[in-house]
Amino acid sequence: MAKIVSTHSFRGGTGKSNTTANLAVMIARAGHRVGIVDTDIQSPGIHLIFRLNEREVTRSLNDYLWGRCRVEEAAYDVTDSAIGALSGVGKRPQLYLIPSSLNTGEIARILREGYDVGKLNDGFRELVRRLELDYLFIDTHPGVNEETLLSIAVSDVLILILRPDHQDFQGTSVTVELARRLQVPQMYLVLNKIPPTMDRRSLREQVESAYGAQVVGMLPLNAEMASLGSHNLFCNRHPDHPFSQELMCVAERIIA
Amino acid sequence: MTNQRTNNDLDLLLGRITSAASPFRETLQQIHQKYAPRGEGRVADYIPELAKASPDWFGIAVATTSGQSFEVGDSRQLFTIQSISKPFVYGLALEDHGREEVLKRVGVEPTGEAFNAIVLDEKSNRPFNPMVNAGAIVAADLIGGKDFAERIGRMLSMFAAHTGRDMYVDNSVFLSERATGHRNRAIGHLMLNFRMVSERIEDSLELYFQQCAVLVHAHDLAMMGATLANRGVNPLTGRRALQAEYVKDVLSIMLSCGMYDYAGEWAYRVGVPAKSGVGGGIVAVIPGRAGIGIFSPPLDAKGNSLRGVKVCQELSERFGLHAFECAFDGQSLAEQIGT
Repeated sequence: MAKIVSTHSFRGGTGKSNTTANLAVMIARAGHRVGIVDTDIQSPGIHLIFRLNEREVTRSLNDYLWGRCRVEEAAYDVTDSAIGALSGVGKRPQLYLIPSSLNTGEIARILREGYDVGKLNDGFRELVRRLELDYLFIDTHPGVNEETLLSIAVSDVLILILRPDHQDFQGTSVTVELARRLQVPQMYLVLNKIPPTMDRRSLREQVESAYGAQVVGMLPLNAEMASLGSHNLFCNRHPDHPFSQELMCVAERIIA
Repeated sequence: MTNQRTNNDLDLLLGRITSAASPFRETLQQIHQKYAPRGEGRVADYIPELAKASPDWFGIAVATTSGQSFEVGDSRQLFTIQSISKPFVYGLALEDHGREEVLKRVGVEPTGEAFNAIVLDEKSNRPFNPMVNAGAIVAADLIGGKDFAERIGRMLSMFAAHTGRDMYVDNSVFLSERATGHRNRAIGHLMLNFRMVSERIEDSLELYFQQCAVLVHAHDLAMMGATLANRGVNPLTGRRALQAEYVKDVLSIMLSCGMYDYAGEWAYRVGVPAKSGVGGGIVAVIPGRAGIGIFSPPLDAKGNSLRGVKVCQELSERFGLHAFECAFDGQSLAEQIGT
């Protein structure tokens, strides 16, 4: 059975898309078929990390939601660029990205008209079925919105990403409450952009006791990530960096 | 599933999301796909407005007492409620006069006669039940109010309480029904002769023609069914549409007399209170749990929506919905919907 993993933050700038992209790559590299859906219709961005050429993107999630295409027609195979041409066994590994439209007109249209949230759910199921996925990652728009709530409702695993910042702390408790109401089976916390001087042990204890959920990753604030500027996959550029190592623990937790 | 009032904003939002995420959505889509191909049914054509309906229109909606709702196909295509209005107007008559008074003027026996027969029970001169036209005209006559405007307002308000939205009448269907309503006028006056109806019978006939032309869609029917399932309270708005003590009257009448000449086999096979209409709608009630609304204009030989009957039969079998089911060991509706 495929596992659906949603990554979410209450606020923007927590490093969610980078974390999602790198996690997906690590899991695919471990020999799995992985899909990533960018449901951040208002501010799409994860495709940049995969260096997906905008000219190549003829169909997006928006087209599927408007009934213009089947959902798998909006899926782009990024295996070679993300993982490299590995001589995989049979059909594994594989990595697909389903982007949201970057066209201003299309973003405006979907915001104005809305769409049927049930159809988004149908899309997730179809992707898993048609692309024979082992994992489907759902990258969401920050904060509370329908796409986020739907993603949480259908996920097997929810990863909440937050910085050690009071605004993130406050917002995360809202998301945790919603996730509990929507009965998500597994919920994990990942702390990102932790300043080097911060006491990590007491931070972990504080967060775990505040939300009653496990912290599975403590990712350091670092200059290399900032320089990369979402222009590429961090784990490919800096495989031995503490960030990548720590993220690997999160990936292993998801696979377990 | 619980019978809570879900008029809290967060509950409503989460209800909508869990509906979108539920595996029941896929089940409903499969069922819709299975019965979508055209069959032997014929669209009603006794008035030109009804004949305009497309035989391909087909919508299914399910609404639960816990505030969730599911739809597939043409679930928002409007059509006239026709006979489906009858049990609901009966409920209003019961509220206005009480059981004993109403029983003096309309019986509760299923009849083997056609629904538009100009026939009254010989012994009592009462129409047999509120689901045949004669009985429905009595119920309309019983709607209280000082004049026509107040009575039609109360009737539309009653429908609005059940559906959760303002309700309107299709003017052209109303005018057509009224122009061709000779049999209905005949039975109305016959009943006036026997004092089953009041001197206001002309107004009441107008009310009756208007009631049949109220515009609904499958989702409305599901909400009306869910309201009855929820002891008379609309699960989304929390507003009471029918006094709790009369819900059982409405439901038992639906079970015994709701599906025209198919009522007996329906009670046997499907086993849930239901009402069909010549416009192609069917409402079914799963007490304590949910309402089902179906729209598909092609009718079978007995005058019920062909696809509608099949869908209800399938849902009843799949989820063990029959009122007297004792041997079901599959996944219940509550389990699949996920509350």
